[in-house]
Amino acid sequence: MRFADFTAFDLVLLAQGLGVNIALFLATSLIGLVIGIAWAIVRYYRVPVLSEVITFVSELLKNSPVLVQLFLVFFGLPGLFHIRVTPVTAATITLSANTAAFIYVIAVSAIESIGRDQIEAARVFGLTRWQVLRHVLAPQAAAFAVGPLIALLVNQLQVTSLISVIGVVDLTKIGNILNMRTLKPFVVWTAVGLLYYAAAKLVALLGTRFENRLRAHSAWRGL
Amino acid sequence: MRLDLSILLPHLGFLAQGALLTAEACVLALVGSVIMGAFVAIARTSSSAALRRIAFVYVDIFRNVPFIVQLFFFYYGLPEIGLYIDAFTTGVIALSIAGGAYASDIIRAGILAIDQGIIEAAEVSGLSRRVIFTRIVLPIALRTSVRPLGSVLINMILTSSILSTITLNELTGSAQIVVSQTYRPFEVYVVLLVVYAALTYLVSLAIAILHRRLNRDMMEAVA
Amino acid sequence: MIKVENVKKAFGQTTVLDGIDLTIEPGEVVSILGSSGSGKSTLIRCINGLEKLNGGQITVDEFDVGKPRELAEARKRSGTVFQLFNLYPHMTVLGNITLAPIEVLKKPRAEAEATALALLESVGLGSRADAYPAQLSGGQRQRVGICRALAMQPRYLLLDEVTSALDPEMTAEVLAILAKLAQEGTTMLFVTHEVEFARQISDRIVFLDKGRLLVDLPTKEFFAADGGMAQPRVAQFLSKMRKD
Repeated sequence: MRFADFTAFDLVLLAQGLGVNIALFLATSLIGLVIGIAWAIVRYYRVPVLSEVITFVSELLKNSPVLVQLFLVFFGLPGLFHIRVTPVTAATITLSANTAAFIYVIAVSAIESIGRDQIEAARVFGLTRWQVLRHVLAPQAAAFAVGPLIALLVNQLQVTSLISVIGVVDLTKIGNILNMRTLKPFVVWTAVGLLYYAAAKLVALLGTRFENRLRAHSAWRGL
Repeated sequence: MRLDLSILLPHLGFLAQGALLTAEACVLALVGSVIMGAFVAIARTSSSAALRRIAFVYVDIFRNVPFIVQLFFFYYGLPEIGLYIDAFTTGVIALSIAGGAYASDIIRAGILAIDQGIIEAAEVSGLSRRVIFTRIVLPIALRTSVRPLGSVLINMILTSSILSTITLNELTGSAQIVVSQTYRPFEVYVVLLVVYAALTYLVSLAIAILHRRLNRDMMEAVA
Repeated sequence: MIKVENVKKAFGQTTVLDGIDLTIEPGEVVSILGSSGSGKSTLIRCINGLEKLNGGQITVDEFDVGKPRELAEARKRSGTVFQLFNLYPHMTVLGNITLAPIEVLKKPRAEAEATALALLESVGLGSRADAYPAQLSGGQRQRVGICRALAMQPRYLLLDEVTSALDPEMTAEVLAILAKLAQEGTTMLFVTHEVEFARQISDRIVFLDKGRLLVDLPTKEFFAADGGMAQPRVAQFLSKMRKD
């Protein structure tokens, strides 16, 4: 039996697919945020060797295709280490690392954008480097980084569509399946595109809402 | 765990061919993006509200839908309406349309940044709107847009890896074939990663040189 | 002849020109004086069509600048030199001067370049034809601006505070060229702060105050105690300029 037409259940499939994208997006964004900020702190402390290694790895991840990174983790690691990696695991590892690389750059530039004079003043008052980071730099850097961060997140959401290529059943994969079945590419891919578009717009909207709330509470307006 | 990069040696020629295809596709798509971007930028700054709306919608859609979905839309959809185009051309078209969305913002910013006085001097000497645009506005806007357009090109090189999903044997596609022949995914994909990063690095250097060359005459002479 | 009839211009709520009447005959050198905000630059920008009139009419040799078709013809007959030079930064000095003659007057390149080089020679920049604007000093750029306007062989030369952005030394070199042009019989309409210069080369001086034309007299009479100076605003303005 061949179901060549669309059914209501297809909507459920599409929703499930989008759910996979969103779940992975949230998880990898969180992990990437933590790792990226950790890397930025390492750089802040100018840890020898480690800082350089991190910068190198970050540049490599930023300037190579995510698809190739996915292939490396999903196909390459099992071959080398003789371990088994599921598509979802590979996707999580890859996207977390990729996101971390971009977060690292945003964090570093946000911290460096804050005037030297504030840091000097704080140090002269006897604050340790950690205290300076925590009380002086971090709040201001966070406010500065929100804009680029939102743009990054919108982009990373779209990047999750590539996990379909290594077999994760996300929205794009569902699109492929529906396309094969119904042979109506325009309808299928427009629906898929629309769902991704809506998700992207939602992220952007929530992001700007958050940014506005941050600004409203910020005591450094115009300083 | 055995890492052996020498197994790639006999396949370098094949990979080089893939790299060439990537380069061709990206160069063509860059030209396409700039042309597309120029038209859309004009539409965005036109006096017709309808034209402005269409241009805005185009940019909004193609910046918020994942590229792979756009690609599949064209690759599977075009044959449905009777357009049978090969994978390479489809890829270039998709990259141009996606790139054009970003290029239009850049070119538009370049146009808006032009000193009004210069346009006034041109108008007052009797030059027609068309000549003012082609001999004055566009040349100046493009000169200042070199760096951001360079970023578009770099992004395009990375995005072009996705063309491997529509059976195009560009660099990533060729690498996949090499993997199937050597059974060494780790080595192949690691090298691929580095090659892409090196490629983008070279392009960014070239862009910096080009920017300096083109803008040298316009930069203030050191008195 | 440039005829300005009852011209009114407002920007939003602010009236900048309030019923100006002015006539410029070929061969005349006319200076427009007045404090900032009196509408001087706006008047010139109305004559060359950069600003649209809210009332009245301006004709250049019978061509109405308010009508788009006739504006093109009007613009061919006038040349403008700007306060901030407004040279095309991406073209050489030669390119700047020859662009309009080639595209608008349809002159062959060789002829346009020859004219351009002759003009550059006459202002002392013959050797800088291949330089870019960024490589020139302010005074040099303004001289190129003058050549660019003259290359179109205009009947009327409109000059909008052309020395205001220059230091005293460069101002002197540009004023020298303008004096020569005036001597040669070029019709010129100046907007300027250089009162002494205006006095030396103008045939007529026009005084604008808050968008109204208060005085329009031949130079000698303008500076006479019973002529222009009889107007309190003029006397006030001139004494302020002298103090500076």
